Amino acid sequence: MRAAILLLVLAACGKSDSAASTGSGSNLFGTTSEPREAVLDAWKKGGLTPSSFTPATVAVGKDCESGTVGALDVLLCVFPSKAEAKQAETAGLGWVGDVTGAAQAAGPVLVVVADRRKGDPSGRTINQMMKLAPR
Amino acid sequence: MRTTIVLAVLLAGAAVSLPADAGKSKQVRYVGIHPVPKSEGGGICYIEGPHVHIYAGNKLEYRDHGGANYFVGDPVAYGYDGPKHVYKGHHPIHVDMVVGDDDSDVEFCYLDGPHYHSFEAPEGPEFQVVGDAYFYVGEPGPVYVEARPAMIKVNAIYEPLVYTRPVVEVEPPTAWVGLRFGAPVVVVPAAVVVDAPDVRVRGPRVRAGVDVRFIVPPPPSIRVDVGVGFGLSGGARVKGEGGGKWKGGKGKRRGW
Repeated sequence: MRAAILLLVLAACGKSDSAASTGSGSNLFGTTSEPREAVLDAWKKGGLTPSSFTPATVAVGKDCESGTVGALDVLLCVFPSKAEAKQAETAGLGWVGDVTGAAQAAGPVLVVVADRRKGDPSGRTINQMMKLAPR
Repeated sequence: MRTTIVLAVLLAGAAVSLPADAGKSKQVRYVGIHPVPKSEGGGICYIEGPHVHIYAGNKLEYRDHGGANYFVGDPVAYGYDGPKHVYKGHHPIHVDMVVGDDDSDVEFCYLDGPHYHSFEAPEGPEFQVVGDAYFYVGEPGPVYVEARPAMIKVNAIYEPLVYTRPVVEVEPPTAWVGLRFGAPVVVVPAAVVVDAPDVRVRGPRVRAGVDVRFIVPPPPSIRVDVGVGFGLSGGARVKGEGGGKWKGGKGKRRGW
């Protein structure tokens, strides 16, 4: 009985404000990839074709995956809160490097896009990606 | 030991000789849509939010907004094909409202005459809509006035650009900033001398709000109109206090 109560208390404490406000996948066991999947789903619904995303070891964050959308290189990092994702925008621009790109927090996900192959000269795809990503 | 010391001195020297910007990124921050330099392919960058490029913006068409370049010019002149709104004359831009952030920032557009922007003017007493064009009727304050002489040079960038400009033929509201602050300073020498075959004409001093047209057809004759713009036909040479400059073939100058 005691163990059950303790588990209930722990579960209640595990619900952070950010998770509650964003509906992200944060839970007792840490961050899940749900917010990242939400971004990818939104892009697909918007007519974009993201590749499969694979785990990436980068300085931007601990839970990052990289892939492509068309000719664009993309990094999606999930953070425990919106504020932390926002804070990581500058680090995201570091990943972009010396090319056209953007790094914007979309809820707890930091969306980083780099146009290393100059495949989006008008920036329309980058703009669409940033606008479609759920806030 | 000696080798170690020599190596240490060499390394220290190398560190000191690094350029100041070594390791720094070439990134330049932008926010909102803006033209892409011809050297980078031209056209328009349609990224509305914060983003980076590796080229800089010029000082006349861009303002600083939280460390990012914000374009205050007419995007249609560079091929923008999105939603657009007509403005006439100088007006403020509430940059934070356009880009959707919390960094309160009002910048001024110094484009003379009718022009486009991608955004609507905010609702309120600052702007009046007449003939589908926004006219700024607010109080611009000293910042606008102080920056005006330098910033109106932006119009020289747009004069040679060929694009379909908006046409505004309605009477402006009486409170329009263009009427209260006078017409733009016309960059015309005080004493105008037209050299044509066997003809020399000394024209009147040209002030803001009074435009003069000299037409020098062969055989030479001269016509002076008031209020119809400045220009010369026949490639006549114009001289004055600022030195001569060719105005031949130019159309009349756009007013406010």
